[in-house]
Amino acid sequence: MGSGHLRDRAAIAGVGYTPFSANSGVSTLTLAVDAILAALDDAGLTVGDVDALATHRVGDSTPPWVVAPALGVPEVTWYLDQFGGGSVSHSVVGQAAMAVAAGIATTVVCYRAVNARSEFRMGGTGRGPAPVFDVQYQAPYGLLAPSQQFAMYARAHMIAYGTTHEQFGHIAVNQRANAAKNDRALKREPITLDDYLASRWIAEPLRLLDCCLETDGACAVVVTSVERARHLPRPPVLISGAVWGGGDSFLSGTGTDFTVSEAARVAPRLYAMAGAGPADIDVAEIYDCFSYSVLVQLEDYGFCPKGEGGPYVASGATALGGTLPVNTHGGFLSEGYVHGLNHVAEAVSQLRGTAGDRQVPGAEVALSTAQPGYVLAGTSALILRADR
Amino acid sequence: MSAPPRPRPWPDRDSAPWWEAVRRHELLLQRCGHCGTPRFPPRAVCNRCRSRESGWVPAMGTGRVYSWIVNHHAFMPAMAAEVPFAVLMVRLDDADDLFMYGNLVAAGVADLVPGLPVEAVFADVLGDDGEGFTLVQWRPRRRTP
Repeated sequence: MGSGHLRDRAAIAGVGYTPFSANSGVSTLTLAVDAILAALDDAGLTVGDVDALATHRVGDSTPPWVVAPALGVPEVTWYLDQFGGGSVSHSVVGQAAMAVAAGIATTVVCYRAVNARSEFRMGGTGRGPAPVFDVQYQAPYGLLAPSQQFAMYARAHMIAYGTTHEQFGHIAVNQRANAAKNDRALKREPITLDDYLASRWIAEPLRLLDCCLETDGACAVVVTSVERARHLPRPPVLISGAVWGGGDSFLSGTGTDFTVSEAARVAPRLYAMAGAGPADIDVAEIYDCFSYSVLVQLEDYGFCPKGEGGPYVASGATALGGTLPVNTHGGFLSEGYVHGLNHVAEAVSQLRGTAGDRQVPGAEVALSTAQPGYVLAGTSALILRADR
Repeated sequence: MSAPPRPRPWPDRDSAPWWEAVRRHELLLQRCGHCGTPRFPPRAVCNRCRSRESGWVPAMGTGRVYSWIVNHHAFMPAMAAEVPFAVLMVRLDDADDLFMYGNLVAAGVADLVPGLPVEAVFADVLGDDGEGFTLVQWRPRRRTP
């Protein structure tokens, strides 16, 4: 199989959001419907054009086979209801591109709709743990929340490479500065490194300001063929690379060094498919459930050598105006957390050149990534390109 | 005052014998009957050679601290009274790719350093269903071999 077979076969033609909040007051079905209608409107399409839906969930949302009839979709020819949280977020878009390239679907709406603050908190209230086999070896020790899992690997990175608390802090401070330029962001008040260092411990070495904002909200993107997208109102954003996969987890009995994430495994395939490398990426929207997730992926996607993610973020390289602006919308730490699709949507805005005060000038190629595989094995990512 | 109940594990069909051994205060590993690779967590099929033959062998019961967290936020109501508490990720001395979790016992968080040699101890605790069960915990090794 040539890895280039999927390159530039499908495009993102529209993006849509609901407002982000701490309590939406509505069902995840309503959130899904609202985000999808907004994305279709953005794309210049209607419900009558939709023939496929794709989402992912961990028992916390409404599946496509409920959303489709609630929208009044005439006929569904393909759907995807993938189990998983942030690690699969970008694979949903990748699989939509695959369905379009295979001729199985013409217009796929990808959505993620969660009341992740008011109903189903990942931190353990309101629902049980995901039914994965690892949990029996962790929960009895009080180890359950993703922040705790990531703290374990953040510490391992600190031990191996001397990464510091202040370096994690630079990630949080930078993303808040970006969020100040984003009307949609939940947190827009600038923070300083001192504010970061004064924020309370959640699971040491991670503090409150290392953690994403548990958010109620939804985001949707419309995937269609490149040819069709070129006849729609918005400039198409090409899906040049789409990858998902992995191998090791912390209990797979195959891994020995957890300072390297699954991103390192998938990155070569992603770059090969897109015909691009780290130097070609103009802007990166990197899964930031926690600050450490950004740091390790900057290394594992090849923007700096292994172990140098801390100095790299402290250098200012990832700020707006730096060599690789990262999480220009503020990310999950400051915009809001709907498990990845808002990273894809921000990349689309950047490549359309419509990101306003936070626009990266002339951005043509974007990387957007999923949770790098620490909670469930595997990750996913996209390289998106402006159609110029 | 007795310790509050702990979230109890939910063994699966592969792991039930391992948990039963822990209940007897025995720390076991599976060993592939064909290629001899030790494995944890328990599974029916070897991921090196796909053999379904396996036996249970005693683990060395020692390891080194690979990483740890100090949990401050009360994620679990059952353990709210215990914060802050440490959770360790221990690399077993049996093989570089075998890890177990556990809490730190008989020492304080200030004693934790990377690579700290630890040994397994068994703790009989009350589960959140009212039934007792046994956990593997870790304490600093008394004599480093």
